[in-house]
Amino acid sequence: MAVLKATGLAKRVGTGRAARRLFEGVGLSVEAGEVVAILGRSGSGKSTLLHLLGALDQPDSGSIRVAGEELVGRHNAALSRIRLRHIGFVFQQFQLIDELTGLENVLLAARLPGAPAGGTHRARKLVDTLGLTAVATHLPHELSGGEQQRFAIARALVNDPELLLADEPTGSLDAENGAAVLDILRDLSDRAVVIVTHEPDAASIADRVLFLRQGQLVPGAEAL
Amino acid sequence: MARQGLRARRRRLAVTAIGVALAAAMLSAAVVVSYGLGTGFSRAASAASLPDLLVRFSEQPGSRVVSRIRALPDVSRWSLRLEATNVELSFGAHSSSSGVAEVLNQPGPDQGYALVGGHQLGNHGRQVLVERGVAAAWGIRLGQRIQVGGLGSERVVGFAEGPDDVGYPLAAPRIYLSRPALDVTYGARAIDPRVNLAEIWLRNPAYVNQVLAQARTISYGLSAIRFATRSGVQILLDQAAGIVIDLLVALSVIALVTAGVLLAASARAEVQRRLTAIGVRRALGETRGQVTLAQVIEALGVSLPAGTVGAGAGLAVTYGASARLLMLLNEPAPGWSLWLPLGAAWLAAILLPAAGAAWPAWRAAGGSVVGLLRGGDLAGRSKASAARRHLPAGLVALGGRLAATRRARLLATVLTLGLSVGFVLLMLALASELSTLQTDPGALGKRYQLTASLPPPAAGRVRRIAGVQAVAPRYEVQAADSFELGETVDVIAYPGDHTVFEAPPLVTGGRLHGTRQAEVGEGLAEALGLGVGSQLALALPDGRELRLRVSGVVSSLDHDGRVAYVPATTLLRADPSAGSQLAVVVAPGASVSAVDRALTRLGAAPAAATGATGRGLPLVNVLRAILRAVAVVDGLVCLYALIQACSLTVQEQRRTLAVLRAVGAGGGAVARLLVGAVLTLIVPAAVLGVVLEELLFGPELSRLAINYAVLDLGAGVTEVLAVLAGLGVAAAVAVAWVSREAARESVVRGLAT
Repeated sequence: MAVLKATGLAKRVGTGRAARRLFEGVGLSVEAGEVVAILGRSGSGKSTLLHLLGALDQPDSGSIRVAGEELVGRHNAALSRIRLRHIGFVFQQFQLIDELTGLENVLLAARLPGAPAGGTHRARKLVDTLGLTAVATHLPHELSGGEQQRFAIARALVNDPELLLADEPTGSLDAENGAAVLDILRDLSDRAVVIVTHEPDAASIADRVLFLRQGQLVPGAEAL
Repeated sequence: MARQGLRARRRRLAVTAIGVALAAAMLSAAVVVSYGLGTGFSRAASAASLPDLLVRFSEQPGSRVVSRIRALPDVSRWSLRLEATNVELSFGAHSSSSGVAEVLNQPGPDQGYALVGGHQLGNHGRQVLVERGVAAAWGIRLGQRIQVGGLGSERVVGFAEGPDDVGYPLAAPRIYLSRPALDVTYGARAIDPRVNLAEIWLRNPAYVNQVLAQARTISYGLSAIRFATRSGVQILLDQAAGIVIDLLVALSVIALVTAGVLLAASARAEVQRRLTAIGVRRALGETRGQVTLAQVIEALGVSLPAGTVGAGAGLAVTYGASARLLMLLNEPAPGWSLWLPLGAAWLAAILLPAAGAAWPAWRAAGGSVVGLLRGGDLAGRSKASAARRHLPAGLVALGGRLAATRRARLLATVLTLGLSVGFVLLMLALASELSTLQTDPGALGKRYQLTASLPPPAAGRVRRIAGVQAVAPRYEVQAADSFELGETVDVIAYPGDHTVFEAPPLVTGGRLHGTRQAEVGEGLAEALGLGVGSQLALALPDGRELRLRVSGVVSSLDHDGRVAYVPATTLLRADPSAGSQLAVVVAPGASVSAVDRALTRLGAAPAAATGATGRGLPLVNVLRAILRAVAVVDGLVCLYALIQACSLTVQEQRRTLAVLRAVGAGGGAVARLLVGAVLTLIVPAAVLGVVLEELLFGPELSRLAINYAVLDLGAGVTEVLAVLAGLGVAAAVAVAWVSREAARESVVRGLAT
């Protein structure tokens, strides 16, 4: 069964004369254990599509189901609950909270009201698994870019989500750290992973590569 | 998303505009009341051409008084009148048997009162000028007729204000009549041809003390003579105004500081949001000044309308109340002269926020363009330290940590909130104290419950009434200070120990002993610079003088603390005709009403001892109303400060909030975070406020108020709990409102910051 199933997605941005259609009738289905990479040029709407899939934004039309729950037309509180339990995010700029240590950043997500039980244990295990124990009490500005992104991945996984969305996860990293992060994402075997990137290297770990071109998602082979 | 951004920006603008409007309203309100009261006497005295010297005496033929006045040096002109008291006045359903009729020998302008409506008295016809306070209270209009006891119906031709005394209802209702007109209408013999009040204008008012000394030497033959100077009148009338002005100025300073700190922080946060845009403009060639100017113009776009609305609202809300208070003091409203200070306040309310916006923009635009383009920080944000790593990582704790990242603003906000809390506590303590003084004679040190209009020899008969514990004659005369003749003093005397009947709290020194000592009220001690061991010299109504050594200073509210307790034998030796009543102490457990009835059967016309003097009751009520209003406004300032502080935290921590929401935090989680931020503000602010009130505000205001009243202004447990509860409610409102607004913002936009 597909963890993520989006159909007929349409999204316009801007208003009046500045209005622009980003995509129309886009559909996507991702199974558990599948890694899908979405590539496209800057401004093609990759990040916007990811935001729609992650319940951070609403499409103009279409349907998105994550772990069997419809995202379109739902109230904010319901979307927050879905994000908390079913979706993990990894951002290009890591988005760690400056005032919290690496471990606290991970724990914070696990301790949010409504989070699944066992979060504290999972957090420590993830930190350990990702090789971050030694720097667990460091603040973000004391961490390297690779370490920050690994803490961000740990935070995304701490509530054991079925779907992981990564927006340019290696965009702020050097080649070595970028490769390490991609290794981690590739090894998330039991989850559905969607990576948005413009870097072909990042797409190399994907089971399926899609291009967002002229408002449509097309398979890699067709795009070539 | 664009619409959401626009809405978010509108909300930020709305919060900023509310702050500017609130500060402008407070500022203009403070200006209206402070300027009105502060300059009220000068305006009234100028409009009324108040004399430099007022001399009251027993009724005398005018020619005899004139001959004495002519003997005085430096006299420019004078005016004589008969001041008739206890005159029956009635109009419609209103009436008073204690009216004062001023019968003017020479009606016309510059007679010590100001005409505020209608026209002056003429030399014929049945006509009367009515004091403005009376006209307002009784609803009298020009052309209507008022019944004047002994005369009949007189037509109201004008309204007057006499700044030599407070107005109705603080004082008895007053009217002005023309002697020439009365003589024409009723015949020359119908009205007592004598006079008992002379108003004297000097060529050089600086010589008033010399003229006074001369007047005392030539006043032989005139009995019950009492002098009052223009400055003496001003001192008495300004007491009440002084305390109100002090309170309002203090409040407006707090409001301004609060608004200033928060508006500056808001402007700074807005600049922080635009650092990249500022970098781009600098990179494109705009100068630092151009960037700053653009920010100032934008700030003016908010502060100009908001400041104008706020200043107008402050004026609208307070002008009427201020005018009513001034009318109670027989002083005119400031009118057009108010526009200059009000305009300055309006300008300040508009320019200060603009200046607050200019400074961070100027600083930001002066930074490295490359740094700006990389979205650098405006500086001042503290990095989390290792010491904080041991703090819990819950949402509430995180909120506190986020609020603490701007240490300078945290301190400033805590300080302003603490000041506001302390100020609200002060208002409540003051209102509570006024209530106690108004209702509890014991608070004034009065231990007698009843007075009886019986002569001293009747004390034996009263003592035999069941339930009476003690009874004694209470002598009271009004004297004047021998050196500062503007100061009047209530001289009170009991045979034997006066503390059985009146034991006002002793502030310094001891109780009087023997026949040459006196206890003086704090108001009198303050006014005359008296202390223990000082010589008190009092001129009695019949011209004799009492000289006593001050044994102690007591707290007393009667006559603004201008009282002196002296031995009865000493007073009676100097003034054998001193008036008295019997003061009756009812035994514990006995029925006061039963004693009251027994006294009535003796024909005593008993009266209950009162708290604050009945004459001052309306003023006390006005003051309490003002205090309540000030406390409410101060509460609003607190609420605004909390909302603005929360909004700023949300604004500055947009990315953090967006991250939290992206990982699944809902509205409740955002609210918890804000609770942490608010607790970081209100807990230290509450502690600071209580400490400030107990150690600074209360004692300091007690000292300021000493001329008006002796007040213990330490906040009680009830007041503290009430304020803490109010602060909690304000915090809850702020958290609910801001978290609701924050939850509406787009997560995507927040992540992009």
